[in-house]
Amino acid sequence: MKKEMIKIENLKKSFGDLEVLKEVNLDVHESDVVVLIGASGSGKSTLLRCINFLEIKNGGKIVIEGEEVDPKSHNLNEVRQKVGMVFQHFNLFPHKTVLENVMEAPVMVKNQDKKEAEKEARVLLEKVGLSDKADVYPAKLSGGQKQRVAIARALAMKPDIMLFDEPTSALDPELVGEVLATMKELAQEGMTMVVVTHEMGFAKEVADEVVYMHDGQIWERGTPQELFNNPQEERTKDFLSSIL
Amino acid sequence: MFDIAHILDVLIESYPLFMKGLWITLKLTVVSILIGTGIGLIFALFKISGIKILNWIANIYIALIRGTPLIVQIFIFYFGLAELGISAFWSAAFGLAMHNGAYIAEIFRGSIQSVDRGQMEAGRSLGMTYGLTMRRIILPQAFKRALPPLGNQFIIGLKDSSLASFIALSELFSIATTQGSRTFDEMTYLIIVGLYYLVLVLLFTLLVNMLEKKLSAGE
Repeated sequence: MKKEMIKIENLKKSFGDLEVLKEVNLDVHESDVVVLIGASGSGKSTLLRCINFLEIKNGGKIVIEGEEVDPKSHNLNEVRQKVGMVFQHFNLFPHKTVLENVMEAPVMVKNQDKKEAEKEARVLLEKVGLSDKADVYPAKLSGGQKQRVAIARALAMKPDIMLFDEPTSALDPELVGEVLATMKELAQEGMTMVVVTHEMGFAKEVADEVVYMHDGQIWERGTPQELFNNPQEERTKDFLSSIL
Repeated sequence: MFDIAHILDVLIESYPLFMKGLWITLKLTVVSILIGTGIGLIFALFKISGIKILNWIANIYIALIRGTPLIVQIFIFYFGLAELGISAFWSAAFGLAMHNGAYIAEIFRGSIQSVDRGQMEAGRSLGMTYGLTMRRIILPQAFKRALPPLGNQFIIGLKDSSLASFIALSELFSIATTQGSRTFDEMTYLIIVGLYYLVLVLLFTLLVNMLEKKLSAGE
């Protein structure tokens, strides 16, 4: 049995009167790639942001690597070091070079030696295929390159889990492939990943489990085979036929 | 009235006196702007903190400063601080700093809030604390955006320092008025002191422009 990396029980989240998550249950095991799909407004991004405590839950339990995390008593900064996040709009630091973007957190948060951090940052940039862009500012990069830097930046903290919030949605179509390729490589290396995406090709090819969300709930979940080829719920069928 | 040869004569002749005033004006301006920038940053952080009591403190401070004339503030500081044995220079400097601080607070608040929310989220998602993200990620970007309005406020601060002449500080403007009334040649001295301020402001504008260029390098 693989280690349970994330366990979510009866998670609830509201913005004012709007109930965005209604009793969500989810578990993610080590090295699994879980892809969340669903229409916009279905709560998948909010679910992802709750796992990283960028949104604070209104109810339920979030267990990260066997430890229940209570936002009131836990040091969330320590929890977040274990959980990397990649955003739709990259959110690179525009006043820092690519290399500085990747080095920032290891040096400032983990007090890593600068030389060592630089060495590791260069290895990561090599891995995402951007060694030659180390000294460039983000403004000079294409969207795909920015997102690959963002992935390297998150990996620099050596997280156990990586969250991807629509990582290719802001990209021109011809740049989507390079980011997905980087993510696929990461999945093959055994990274535990939770991915919100509309790229069904990626879901089919890389996911261990696909989760369909609707109206703040997990409507159906299964292997890509099960969910795409043989969906059980009417809602899921409607959604899949609307996007495929 | 505008006898240029005469003005030039007086300009050259009064040069040593005005240099003394210029020195005091510069000291007053630089000190009050530096302290004012510090005050402004603190109150800007109060305003965006989301902590009610800090919000209130900042709002009251800004309302009081913006709602009353600078000359009133300078006199209040002068008479208030004189009792504590603080010199006219330092009471003027504190008065001007508190005044500039209120406007600078609003400038910083606006520029901090103009930085994309995703920047804070990116910092936090990497395990950085709120304070560290603010210092390393948000403020450097905010400061760059604040520079043009900040430069403008500094120019206002420089010119406002002339009000310190009312509390018997012999800065530029007070040299002009005392010399003017001594020689019954007020207009000449007013034109000359106006030229001093103009040159200072132009030099300062140049400096801010250079800084802006330097800070935007690479982006």
